[in-house]
Amino acid sequence: MEATERVLFEGSVRHATSNADGAALDDAMEELGWRDALQADRAAAVSVLFECQGVTTTDSAALDWLLAGALGAPTDRTAVVLPSLRETSAPGRLDGGRCLVRGLASAALDRCDRVLVVIEGADGADGADGATVVGVEARQLERRRVHGLDQSLGLFEVAGEFELTVVASSRSTDWPSTLALGQLALGHQLVGSGRTMLEQARTHALERTQFGRPIGSFQAVRHRLAESLVALEAAAALLDAAWDDPSPVTAAMAKAFAGRSARTVARHCQQVLAGIGFTTEHPLHRSVRRTIVLDQLLGAGSVLTRTLGADILSSAALPAAFPL
Amino acid sequence: MELADFKAAVDDWLDAHEGDLAPTFAGIGTLDEQMAQLRKVMRLTYDAGFMRMGWPARVGGLEGSNLLRAYLGETLTARDLVEPGIYSMPEVLAPTMIDYAPPELAAAMVPRLLRGEEIWCQGFSEPGTGSNLASLACRATRTDAGWRINGQKVWTSLAQYAQRCVLLTRTGTTASAHKGITALFVDMDSAGITVRPIETMHGAQEFCEVFFDDVVVPLDRVLGEVDRGWSIAMDLLPYERSTALWHRAAYLRRRLEQLVAASPPGTLDPVAVGQATELLWAFRARSRATQRRLAAGETLGAETSVDKVLVATAEQAVFDLVGEGLGVEVTLGDDPASQRWRAEFLYSRAATIYGGSAEIQRNIIARRLLELGADR
Repeated sequence: MEATERVLFEGSVRHATSNADGAALDDAMEELGWRDALQADRAAAVSVLFECQGVTTTDSAALDWLLAGALGAPTDRTAVVLPSLRETSAPGRLDGGRCLVRGLASAALDRCDRVLVVIEGADGADGADGATVVGVEARQLERRRVHGLDQSLGLFEVAGEFELTVVASSRSTDWPSTLALGQLALGHQLVGSGRTMLEQARTHALERTQFGRPIGSFQAVRHRLAESLVALEAAAALLDAAWDDPSPVTAAMAKAFAGRSARTVARHCQQVLAGIGFTTEHPLHRSVRRTIVLDQLLGAGSVLTRTLGADILSSAALPAAFPL
Repeated sequence: MELADFKAAVDDWLDAHEGDLAPTFAGIGTLDEQMAQLRKVMRLTYDAGFMRMGWPARVGGLEGSNLLRAYLGETLTARDLVEPGIYSMPEVLAPTMIDYAPPELAAAMVPRLLRGEEIWCQGFSEPGTGSNLASLACRATRTDAGWRINGQKVWTSLAQYAQRCVLLTRTGTTASAHKGITALFVDMDSAGITVRPIETMHGAQEFCEVFFDDVVVPLDRVLGEVDRGWSIAMDLLPYERSTALWHRAAYLRRRLEQLVAASPPGTLDPVAVGQATELLWAFRARSRATQRRLAAGETLGAETSVDKVLVATAEQAVFDLVGEGLGVEVTLGDDPASQRWRAEFLYSRAATIYGGSAEIQRNIIARRLLELGADR
């Protein structure tokens, strides 16, 4: 995307996410051609939209569109079953001739007729090893709307069991590469969530007066906010660099780091906002909730980080470093 | 030359001249040995043309993007041919000369710096002037014979080796603060200069005290304008927080790699290793973006304080791991490799102190990037 084109695109996406959520945001994305942008410039389309969704604490079917597209399936009215919370393994597994599914789905499941399930270790219809993606009718899965920590995100817990003969389509797929794209998207969303918390805390620090001066003039407060900005800028830089080569290792690093950064920001900003930030009368709690959930979706940050460290130690080698 | 061509050319050349370029000492060496190694590497890479690339022709350079300089320092550091701290000093001092010195002075002097013929130092901090740089008191008085300087500097890296010094002096009243500072380019062999090296905790005499007693500096050695030296300092600091940091990233990556290869099984916590690696990769990503902004012609400013906080945090995270994985070597080892790990472990403790402390960087971020207003 050219620089000027990107500015326009960002403006449209920002406008859409500021004014719509859920199904209405899906419509707005359709109108501004987000799925075309995804084809033309995946990194720009994903980073802009997901950061905006993070900033506005909104959600759309974009994660499903992104993953379904990566799985080589049509994206219309199609949800993709996500791994269970904190996990990265594909949500489907084979048990004899039956397929067992357990995982999560985005709120967009309600707006979908078809569901894609990735089954680990199954041979695809074309006979290749690895994972297989199958398409089933949405009503073939049981669902439970999650209230939990972040009710407004509208996640579903889904489960199902079906004969592979009822599957409408199947093909082999590369689950780690698909997961990587989702992790990068959530990484950007976490950064956006952090930016909103920082802006709220910054505004409070300028407006709230104690001892006759704005609390933002106290170094203890300033340094918490400075630390928050450093965390977010570092996470944003790592995500941008990860798009050079969105491999599973770099995507997991970027997602885990974005989650840890956003949680650092949540901690500092909640402290700066103090009492009011602990109430539902201030919007901070929405971003705090969203941050904690996103940090655990498509692989908990702490688990991804531990896995990275364990892999480094067992191989005695560092991951590839992106070149200058 | 394009970056890809430059990378291939410089790496081929470094491979072919491995023997000529290699250090003659084991481990970290003495500072004298490190300086001799630095001069050798700079002379050879200058004469081969690589050290001249990325610098303007009017100071003897061969033009091209700053990315070429960034890569040269990266590959020299990654190959363990130079210590990044002392190698990167021209990245701070040469741009200052290019931007502010009289053109003929810059043309005469900068090539000597880049070829390793001369070492330059940076006279900023004073005993009473640490984080509060604008309070500096080293006095320069204009006389017919030149600027007469009286005062003291401290933490002046490599002053005992230096032929020149970029010196910040007080030319206005003390109350003039940042409005009464003048930058001078001083010959270190001038009468009246006394250099006293300070032995640091990590066992090197890298920093010095420098005393000025009636030192006379020619009037044409002013950098920029009289009483406008503050802007030079402000322009210089982003250089200190850009290309030099990319070089440092290469060093930290090499040391982390060597650490995971050398640590006995079970000594390192996988979570800590994962966190340090993510942080170091994030710092590299940030530093690369800064390099690209510089290459695109952007002026760097306060946002480079983010890079500085990151490098210091990453360096301490990496060397905290060294203290665990190679705790025995760091604590008890007296062989060259252990001495080096120990020295670098100790030096990493200063990463949040030198070059603008972690607190000053956060003050800059709060004031300039978050626009939180004055802090009192």
